[in-house]
Amino acid sequence: MISAILLAMALQGQQPLIQTEAPSIVAALTHETVEIREDFVGQELVLYGATRGLTIQDEIVVVLRGPEYDLRVMRKERNFGVWVNSDPVVFADVPSYYAIATSLPLEDIASDAELAAGRIGLPSLFARQPVSNGQITLSQETVLPYLQAIARAGERQNLYAEAQRGVEVLDGGLFRATISLPPLTPVGDYVADVYLFREGRVIASRSAALRVEKAGLERFIYDFAQTLPWLYGLFCVLLAVLAGYIADAIFNRR
Amino acid sequence: MQIYLPIAEISVNIFLLLGLGGGIGFLSGLFGVGGGFLMTPILMFIGIPPTVAVSTQAPQIVASSFSGALAHWKRKTLDLKMGGLLLAGGVVGSFFGVQLFSYLRSLGQIDLFIGLSYVGFLGVIGGLMFLESVRSILNARSGRASTAPKRRRRSWVEQLPVKMRFPASGLYISIFPPIAIGFLVGILAAIMGVGGGFVMVPAMIYILRMPTNVVVGTSLFQILFVTALTTVLQAGQNQTVDIVLAALLIVGGVIGAQFGAKAGRFIKAEELRALLAFMVLAVCFKIGLDLVVTPSDLFVVIPVEPQGGS
Repeated sequence: MISAILLAMALQGQQPLIQTEAPSIVAALTHETVEIREDFVGQELVLYGATRGLTIQDEIVVVLRGPEYDLRVMRKERNFGVWVNSDPVVFADVPSYYAIATSLPLEDIASDAELAAGRIGLPSLFARQPVSNGQITLSQETVLPYLQAIARAGERQNLYAEAQRGVEVLDGGLFRATISLPPLTPVGDYVADVYLFREGRVIASRSAALRVEKAGLERFIYDFAQTLPWLYGLFCVLLAVLAGYIADAIFNRR
Repeated sequence: MQIYLPIAEISVNIFLLLGLGGGIGFLSGLFGVGGGFLMTPILMFIGIPPTVAVSTQAPQIVASSFSGALAHWKRKTLDLKMGGLLLAGGVVGSFFGVQLFSYLRSLGQIDLFIGLSYVGFLGVIGGLMFLESVRSILNARSGRASTAPKRRRRSWVEQLPVKMRFPASGLYISIFPPIAIGFLVGILAAIMGVGGGFVMVPAMIYILRMPTNVVVGTSLFQILFVTALTTVLQAGQNQTVDIVLAALLIVGGVIGAQFGAKAGRFIKAEELRALLAFMVLAVCFKIGLDLVVTPSDLFVVIPVEPQGGS
């Protein structure tokens, strides 16, 4: 009897818990740092995670963003028969790397407005870019081809990638996504965001950090060239003279 | 086998670079030119950023001109006084060229400027060389002795003030033409990633009227120091010298040059010149075509880099 009451209480206590349990999501990357060494030709990363309270209508979106930098985009114009770069527009804080993987095509997951608000998806990247060419603020129509050019350039170098159904949902609310870093991967701090969507709204999200850095000899040379550029230049000359001298000594022995 | 270049920030096949260095080295040994005018466009073509391609050519030319300059030094076929004046001009030119390079890069116009410089210089030099060599081949075929260049009595060069004696060249001329020529070559080294021998050698022969036996040694002397300075300036100001790329090109280059020099002995001088002229014109044509053909993407995306300096 007592045990039955206890059981009932326990069940009662548990019942509302299950119903109000907030949906949550956790995620981790297979790497916390990616090292660029002499033999770097790109790298595959796996982001894996688990969700609690995942229902059948829920969708998962994974975004990996690289460090931001400023870009100057110029239009080529034919001048006296030669193509000349003209009409520069500078875009601030553009992600140097942007990969997105989803469990369903993005347009089926949420509305454009919702995605833009969360800066999710390539088109949203530039949606609220304040743009000027230094003097005047440019209209959206003027800027659009420039934005498309940034997207094209990123896709050409595999720096911008979109994988529809790139997120694999496994049993028990587990999921995983494979993201590849191309050979031209920029160095810096990356952020991986995972979003849990329900009925077109983000109901849970989580971030994981990733660092891409040059390592070993690559790092040594790069740091040398950046921090002591003049000494580095002298060193290059010295090495070149030495190479010329050795070549002379080997081949011109009389 | 791929190798990641630390400054160019791109992964390139190591054997491609060695082979490229070897191939260009062979041609430079064959023709007795630096080969920078071939190497820089090819590096850009395989995806090395133009700024890195141009700057990294400088140490490569240092290596290839060093052994040549050393040989001429030992044989005393080098006019040190004249070389010093050319160098003085070259130092100023190199400094000026690197500034111009930085400025054009900040405007996003460096690619166009490199392209136009190539087309202009290669077109003129290649064209002149081609005409000259065809004429001498035809003369040789028809059995006529090539007509020695007529010496005009007084050219405008000889009328300039501040004259100086150059015992090694047997000249008594103004100091301004050598300084001006050196200046021009210094700019070319910084902007085009070339040694500038293809401009300097004809200028020394036809404008300064230097005897041919000291021309090559003196030009190598000037090129050695100007490209060494350019290396330091580009590294210091633009941080665009890739030492790994340079090392691979140098290793391939010095080996290739030895074979090229041996092969060169089996070809007649004027035919060699015609061949070289043809190659120069081909490169000129290819770069010129790229400037006028509608590009595949009508937009260019250039990272805005923080301005150089440490």
